[in-house]
Amino acid sequence: MSRWLGLCAILLILGAVHAAAVATAQTVVAGNLTSGPYSDASVVAAVPNGAAVTVIERQGGWYHVKTAAGQDGWLPMTAIRYNSTTSGTAAAPGTDWASLFSSGREGSGGSTATTGVRGLNTGDIANAKPDIQAVQSLDKYQAKPEQAKAFAAKVPLKANPKIGWLPEVKP
Amino acid sequence: MKRLAAIAAGLLIAGVPFAVAADISLPGIFNSLKQAFTPTSQDDEIAIGRDAAATLLGASKPIADPAVQQYVNKVGLWIALQSDRPDLPWHFAVVDSDDIDAFAAPGGFVFLTRGLLLRLHNEAELAGVLGHEISHVILKHHLKALQKAARMDLVSQAAKVGMASKGYDSDLDQELMDKVSNATRNLYSKGLDKDDELAADRMGVVLAARAGYDPYGLLAVLQTLEAVDPHSSKMQLLMATHPAPADRITALSESMAAANFDRFGKLAEVDGRFNTMMKGLVENAKKAKAPAAVTKK
Repeated sequence: MSRWLGLCAILLILGAVHAAAVATAQTVVAGNLTSGPYSDASVVAAVPNGAAVTVIERQGGWYHVKTAAGQDGWLPMTAIRYNSTTSGTAAAPGTDWASLFSSGREGSGGSTATTGVRGLNTGDIANAKPDIQAVQSLDKYQAKPEQAKAFAAKVPLKANPKIGWLPEVKP
Repeated sequence: MKRLAAIAAGLLIAGVPFAVAADISLPGIFNSLKQAFTPTSQDDEIAIGRDAAATLLGASKPIADPAVQQYVNKVGLWIALQSDRPDLPWHFAVVDSDDIDAFAAPGGFVFLTRGLLLRLHNEAELAGVLGHEISHVILKHHLKALQKAARMDLVSQAAKVGMASKGYDSDLDQELMDKVSNATRNLYSKGLDKDDELAADRMGVVLAARAGYDPYGLLAVLQTLEAVDPHSSKMQLLMATHPAPADRITALSESMAAANFDRFGKLAEVDGRFNTMMKGLVENAKKAKAPAAVTKK
């Protein structure tokens, strides 16, 4: 029985690490935690700069968060900065595909973390030799406008052609 | 004052036949001057872009995962259809690198690394990245920089290739390729001007929103990038060629606030089919790994 529990615990821990690491962040400004994802929502609590929060989800420009004190509410996106995970990615809500991919590639052996890892740095670009075949190979993946439109309609995504350009805001 | 304007106008008018005549007898400087005022045709742009794309793909090949490649082409084209240049021959591709970056080349080529794709969480974030790169193409950022770097010779060169249209084996093609390739190696390892990157952020967000996506996807991606160690090798190319994520977040969020983009916060994130596609990418990597493990033993 206890062996069962131990196995379950290990599986749970592995699952948590792989599927959705806890999304942790810190506030980068002092501000108000609000009851909803909009600026005129009622204030739940004041949050100081540097407060640790857990990010539950994002809706538009807002994060649904929980503070270390257990207060639940919403903060503007730019009020926080994500902590980084051991896989070198943000502790954002959602699946950490980067670590799933690298652990899948390593296979069950798992020890050779750098096996098959392909870099791309400024030196690689500065020394690149043109590969015409690679460009030509892209044609077979090209989408036709009808396909793209049908793909959008499945969601459905609706075009909003009237949304205006953003202004440049000088600091 | 009026006389000055008249003289200037006279010079301009006189300059036109002069430049045309000089084009025939004196290539070189006059040719370059003429091109400074000649808009690049779309065919020339595509010829230049194809050679720039070939150089970029020389550094990092497209991944061999048709499902993923077709997926990014559908999402990308849908966004490009919302732009002022829906008719370009748009090509999108994920390239085989675990580092984090994305690029655009003239004529409608957009590439992102697998390392960047794996750090996204939904289609709206992908739309933000593709929207940014599509905007570089729309705004001709790389085209202008490449022409400047190659002393504006590229247009006439591309036009000649177009006239010859003999495929890649002709001397003219090789000449254009050498010039574009040199300029590409230089430009894409140094990056565009900071203002070009910020302009592409602003336009990319609007294109994503016009395509029906939650426009905060790009900000979310920039926050993801902000949390990656800027000194890690994964970030070397991106940091060498772009403003710091934190600076982009500040500039973009202020523009979005000024335009009341909060009202578009409930547009689609689309995580279902994005996650399905990512699962496939991970599964394919495992399958690709399996035979290698056997041969090791």
